[in-house]
Amino acid sequence: MEKVQIWTTGLSLALLIFVLQLIRKRYLREQYSLLWLLFCVIIIVFSLNTKLLNWTAAQLGIFYAPSLLFLVGIALCLLLILHLTVVVSRLMERTVRLTQELALMRHDLEKSEKGTDL
Amino acid sequence: MLSASLKVCIIIPAYNEEKSIFHVIRNILRLHPDFTVLVINDGSSDRTEMVAKSAGADVVTLSQNLGIGGAVQTGYRYAAARDFDVAVQVDADGQHKPEELDKILEPIRQDKADMVIGSRFVEQTSYQSSAGRRTGILILSSLVTLFARQPLKDVTSGFRAINRRVIRMFAEDYSTDYPEVDSLIMVKKKHFRIQEIAVEMEQRQSGSSSITSFKSVYYMVKVTLSIMMKSFR
Repeated sequence: MEKVQIWTTGLSLALLIFVLQLIRKRYLREQYSLLWLLFCVIIIVFSLNTKLLNWTAAQLGIFYAPSLLFLVGIALCLLLILHLTVVVSRLMERTVRLTQELALMRHDLEKSEKGTDL
Repeated sequence: MLSASLKVCIIIPAYNEEKSIFHVIRNILRLHPDFTVLVINDGSSDRTEMVAKSAGADVVTLSQNLGIGGAVQTGYRYAAARDFDVAVQVDADGQHKPEELDKILEPIRQDKADMVIGSRFVEQTSYQSSAGRRTGILILSSLVTLFARQPLKDVTSGFRAINRRVIRMFAEDYSTDYPEVDSLIMVKKKHFRIQEIAVEMEQRQSGSSSITSFKSVYYMVKVTLSIMMKSFR
């Protein structure tokens, strides 16, 4: 095992453990953690198995194998960010609905407390 | 009289409009005492809520600012829950004249349209606006005309009446920001009838449009995207 491999394997394992720990402590919901776990597994596999990295790079016509790592890393980052914006959009829709419902219910409550018709 | 039997809800979205809103509400109620005037106070930091209540309006206060679309949709949800026949959106800045309400209500009373837009441009009216704004509206109007397959001119007008069926649709689905234009596409997609009626509008009494020059580029891009997305949905 090369020195750099020990480094990358160690770091990616640390990331995996950190993600699992976040899920265990409920700082991260399982449904949003799947992409992260996938990310960890991919970088661990490539760190341990440089032959696989070289082979995949060759198959894709990439001359310098480590640049495949960057490609995969950036692609996964973009995927994660896209996933996050989808989540934020859904959250926003729900907050709007909640704010509206809350306002309407508070209005009705005030009316009924005053004893007037709704 | 058929008209007297219609339950009409006037929806006024208001964000920090304490200066103008009192007269807007009073003028409407003076001409149409039987209408319900509902103010959606969109998280104002001034006395909009108090002033609107003292003018005789029903006020729903949003705890956070949702933007014009989210506020107006609250009004539609109110109107849908209380089974109103017509909902009319009116601006809080006094731009829309209460005298013109009957004009845009008429096609709905006669069941000739499901949605009526009070328009500044159908006939020559005295309304003045900047060249930039006119160009923007012209571009959007051509886009809507293309995608809705119906010539519509004043597509950004916030003076509009809708009947019960459209109220129900908007209560469920309405854009949060800058909803005026793409809501037209939604309405046409469901095969509802839109009619545009010429109305006189005032110059703004106070405040400024929600569309400032800085935001106008964002506005145009966002609205254009919305129109296309809504068309292909």
